[in-house]
Amino acid sequence: MSTDTDADPTDGDEIAREKLIDLAAEFYDQFADGEVPKMRVPTRTKSNIEYDEEEGVWVYGDRHSTRSANSVNGAQKLLKAVYVIDFLQNQLEEERSSTLRELYYLSESWDLEAAQFNGQDESNQLIEDLEIVSDVTREDFHMRPEESGATVMGPLHIREQTRRGEREIHCQEDVGEGGYQIPNNPDTIEFLDHDAAFVLCVETGGMRDRLVENGFDEDHDALVVHLKGQPARATRRIVKRLHDELDLSVVVFTDGDPWSYRIYGSVAYGSIKSAHLSEYLATPEAEFVGIQPSDIVEYDLPTDPLSDSDINALESELEDPRFQTDYWEEQIELQLDIGKKAEQQALASRGLDFVTDSYLPERLGEMGVL
Amino acid sequence: MTSYQSELGGGGGDVAEELAKGQRAISIAEFFEKNKHMLGFDSGARALVTAVKEAVDNALDATEEAGILPDIYVEIEEAGDYYRLVVEDNGPGITREQIPRVFGKLLYGSRFHAREQSRGQQGIGISAAVLYSQLTSGKPAKITSRTQGGTEAEYFELIVDTDENEPEISEESTTTWDRTHGTRIELEMEANMRARQQLHDYIKHTAVVNPHARIEFREPKEHLKYERATDQLPSETEEIRPHPHGVELGTLIKMLEATDSYSASGFLQSEFTRVGQKTADSVVAAFRDRHFGREMAWTPPQPHEDAAVAAAVTEAVNGKGPDATDGFAEEVADAVAARERIAHHELIEVVGEAAERATEEYGVTFGATVRENAVAAAWGEVSAAREADLYRLVDDATTSRKDDAAVEAFARRVATGFANDEDDRDRVTRDDLASYVDRAADRTKEREDVSFGDTAREKVVEAVWEVCRTVPDDVPKVREVAGDRDVASELLEAMRETDILAPPTDCLAPITEDLVEAGLRKEYDADFYAAATRAAEVHGGDPFIIEAGIAYGGNLVDEGSTDVLRFANRVPLVYQRGACATTDVVKSINWRNYGLDQPGGSGMPNGPAVLMIHVASTNVPFTSESKDAVANVPEIEDEIELALREAARELKQYLNKRRSLEKRRRKQDVIADILPRMAEKLSEVTDREDLDVEDSLARIMNNVLVERRRENGRMGLVVQNHSDAGADLEVTDIVDAEPGDVTTRTGDGETAAIDDATVVEMDGEWFVKWSPRVESGGSAVLEYEADGGTTADVQVEGVEDAKTTINDS
Repeated sequence: MSTDTDADPTDGDEIAREKLIDLAAEFYDQFADGEVPKMRVPTRTKSNIEYDEEEGVWVYGDRHSTRSANSVNGAQKLLKAVYVIDFLQNQLEEERSSTLRELYYLSESWDLEAAQFNGQDESNQLIEDLEIVSDVTREDFHMRPEESGATVMGPLHIREQTRRGEREIHCQEDVGEGGYQIPNNPDTIEFLDHDAAFVLCVETGGMRDRLVENGFDEDHDALVVHLKGQPARATRRIVKRLHDELDLSVVVFTDGDPWSYRIYGSVAYGSIKSAHLSEYLATPEAEFVGIQPSDIVEYDLPTDPLSDSDINALESELEDPRFQTDYWEEQIELQLDIGKKAEQQALASRGLDFVTDSYLPERLGEMGVL
Repeated sequence: MTSYQSELGGGGGDVAEELAKGQRAISIAEFFEKNKHMLGFDSGARALVTAVKEAVDNALDATEEAGILPDIYVEIEEAGDYYRLVVEDNGPGITREQIPRVFGKLLYGSRFHAREQSRGQQGIGISAAVLYSQLTSGKPAKITSRTQGGTEAEYFELIVDTDENEPEISEESTTTWDRTHGTRIELEMEANMRARQQLHDYIKHTAVVNPHARIEFREPKEHLKYERATDQLPSETEEIRPHPHGVELGTLIKMLEATDSYSASGFLQSEFTRVGQKTADSVVAAFRDRHFGREMAWTPPQPHEDAAVAAAVTEAVNGKGPDATDGFAEEVADAVAARERIAHHELIEVVGEAAERATEEYGVTFGATVRENAVAAAWGEVSAAREADLYRLVDDATTSRKDDAAVEAFARRVATGFANDEDDRDRVTRDDLASYVDRAADRTKEREDVSFGDTAREKVVEAVWEVCRTVPDDVPKVREVAGDRDVASELLEAMRETDILAPPTDCLAPITEDLVEAGLRKEYDADFYAAATRAAEVHGGDPFIIEAGIAYGGNLVDEGSTDVLRFANRVPLVYQRGACATTDVVKSINWRNYGLDQPGGSGMPNGPAVLMIHVASTNVPFTSESKDAVANVPEIEDEIELALREAARELKQYLNKRRSLEKRRRKQDVIADILPRMAEKLSEVTDREDLDVEDSLARIMNNVLVERRRENGRMGLVVQNHSDAGADLEVTDIVDAEPGDVTTRTGDGETAAIDDATVVEMDGEWFVKWSPRVESGGSAVLEYEADGGTTADVQVEGVEDAKTTINDS
């Protein structure tokens, strides 16, 4: 799909639009044959993802659920789907784009009340459904999430295709301390040149700012990508492209708690909700830096006790196929054992420079990245 | 009282006389005045309801008894300061001689002594209304009655003579009347219409429960007519004799005094229902045990001791010669020893026989005195071993864990009970026996500190009572029983204690399920009706039948609690709803189970429903004489609950079905709304021609789809059964031109069966009718030749509308 970016963008739009109309035609034929219209989508749950050995990512398994007009609920879902297909194909035709939230509000203007969404979760889910059955990504539908805003800082020179023309940007020299803002569709970016040694994804803003202030990107030729919590698809996509196209190793640096491991998981293995795009978004080679439960012990970091929901999350991760490796089982069991968690900032208990002078060089050295 | 006390101090002995001055007969009017609340005349509003009720009840009873379909007219009008009440019926009329007594004498009636289901019972109602009228307005009651075939009607004006409780006739004449037979009563009384609602309820409910009656009701503001819903009169009831379990002591004594029977057994068989020779024998045996008690039978002395009996008898006989004496004594001793146990009256028999034998053999007469002496002597020996005998009985009857010495002491004390009794024949009633055992047990607890509990005591009494012998004495004759309250009470207890078949039920006339439903249907415009009539049951010797009915939905009021219609012997109960057993039962049922709303899960249910309960019995137990509320008799409450639940189960089924159809309809509505819009959008997006969604819709709804098809000069109807059950359909196509060749064929496979179609012409329209059976998933094609311009209209029957999709275009 990334190849689409090199071609005339309207070509890609045309393909996406045709795929949508094909989907509508399928429903049309079902009606014409007197059948009950239906749409089959993979079940998007933890129990229905499996490892794709070839791609090294997690994808959906064989279990499907059927949205059928047999029930009132199913009929309403299909009706909405058809209305959204109509909306998207219009949007592509007119070369416009909109956000997920706009779609939700826009449905209010539709003439048929039954086609309107009850909440944004519903419209978001429907877009995911359509991505899966039409094999077109949301970005290619020209649908973007509300917030983007994750950033890159480091020795990377790019050209971005913006709506207002091409822009060439150096992600260290042409940007402020905030770094380069990743666009919603990173496939509009072309990598021109770089001096980077590796990509360092950082969960929290505080840690990212610490690394930039301490000049970690300059000292170690690191591309510091701010994940901003659970990373948006654009963030994951650009990390994937940096790894695939520039052959850079990727490491992920987060807090030491179960929620942060999931952030790593979605960068490396893909998220459950977007497993259909795993091969497009996930970077299976990405490695976890920390904070590891063993770091908590080793560096004697200030900690908080695990809450009940933390424990549940850890136990659920033990059952998550994505975390069923020796490394993760050892780390998670250790954490359950010590009953503690620590934030990235806890490293500051040993001084503001500890993270850049000692922790990261030591860890990255161990991992063979530095 | 204080004044009398002071006089007492003064030595006056005339208090009783003083008091006597104040003692006199109470007139019926005074009694009525004091007790009018009991009779339902405590207020002007209520008096009117009660008077209407009494008159209408009488009218219904009279017509039904004569096998006439009731036609009743009730009118209330204002008459100056008073209200005038007129009630007319088309009954058999009342003879000239009877009229004054029926209306002018309290406690006169044909019903009180009859055990048969009827509305009125005491003979107090209508004359009480007459009395109330005369006391409040001073006007006499005006009665007109014409008997069947009578040429003229009798007319009376009368009041109740309150001193004598006799009618006082002020006018008596004959008159003409447009009814060929019937009775009319006109009363004027102080009253008001504040109980209008209750009046209306009473009349309406009467109409519900008497669907065979026509009732017209006119009051100052409204004029209502309730038509008859059936020509079927309630089944005639048989009068039954009382059941032995249902009488009370006073009634029993009255019956004993009145009977022609001489013996107790004859009395029981002739005066009670369900008593034959066998049952009478059981009752008499129980009566005998109660009246005379039983005689304890002791184990006679063992063989090695039998010399004792012989010796004692020899000792007691004087002057009969040694041979005769010895022979007699041995004879007695042998006969006694041969028995396992012997009671006093048996010993008398034995001695008697021995005496006869001795007379024959030795020619010596053993007279009465000799025999008595011999009996006394032998009995002394037989009863000497009481202690040992009782010890064995007690030991067997109680647990082995008891201390042996204590059991022995206990047995000794029971034996002492026998020994101390004045009656040396050891005759005891069960109560005597129980008191011996109780005393012995109390003593044993005191002295030996071993307790014999209630169960142990009961077991001992039972064991001893078992070996006691019923005495041969004749039970008292009826005359003696009647003359002695205590003896009569013994007979009553014996009757109650004996198992006797439940009374027959042909004395009851239930409304029957069908007519309960018809009655509700007639007066309530509802969507659903259910009724249940239970089998007869018995309370205190009186048979009863409970019926229940439910009407639901339609025009019934949706708000507030459900109406409960209460009836006793077809009479609506208007007042004291809260005190009534029927209400208690309704409140105790969890109506949510049956699909009715019930705030808090108990109490009166809410919603658009009417509940009806009918208690039919030869004796409905009311809480008071005004007959407003059924008393809480457990047997009756149980049956009311079962009847209500039976009817409620039908309601539940109906509601469930209705809900599922409603759900289905809602689904169909929503989907039928969505699919075309979806199809429209799809045509727009794909830029293709418009779609027809009926087929998909029928499939979604699992409906039977009937679609019209025209091609090549043939008009066709395609039936597709998408449901999961086979469908037997009647498809009728109404065509405006004569159809040609009619054909039918089934779809793929053997999935449908069709008989030949029929074509009927009517007023220029042709009705083409097929009756196909189409299996689940099957289809059929119904076709005929028709011109292109032919129009037709299809009707499909055999499947609920909600489950059919017709595409007739």
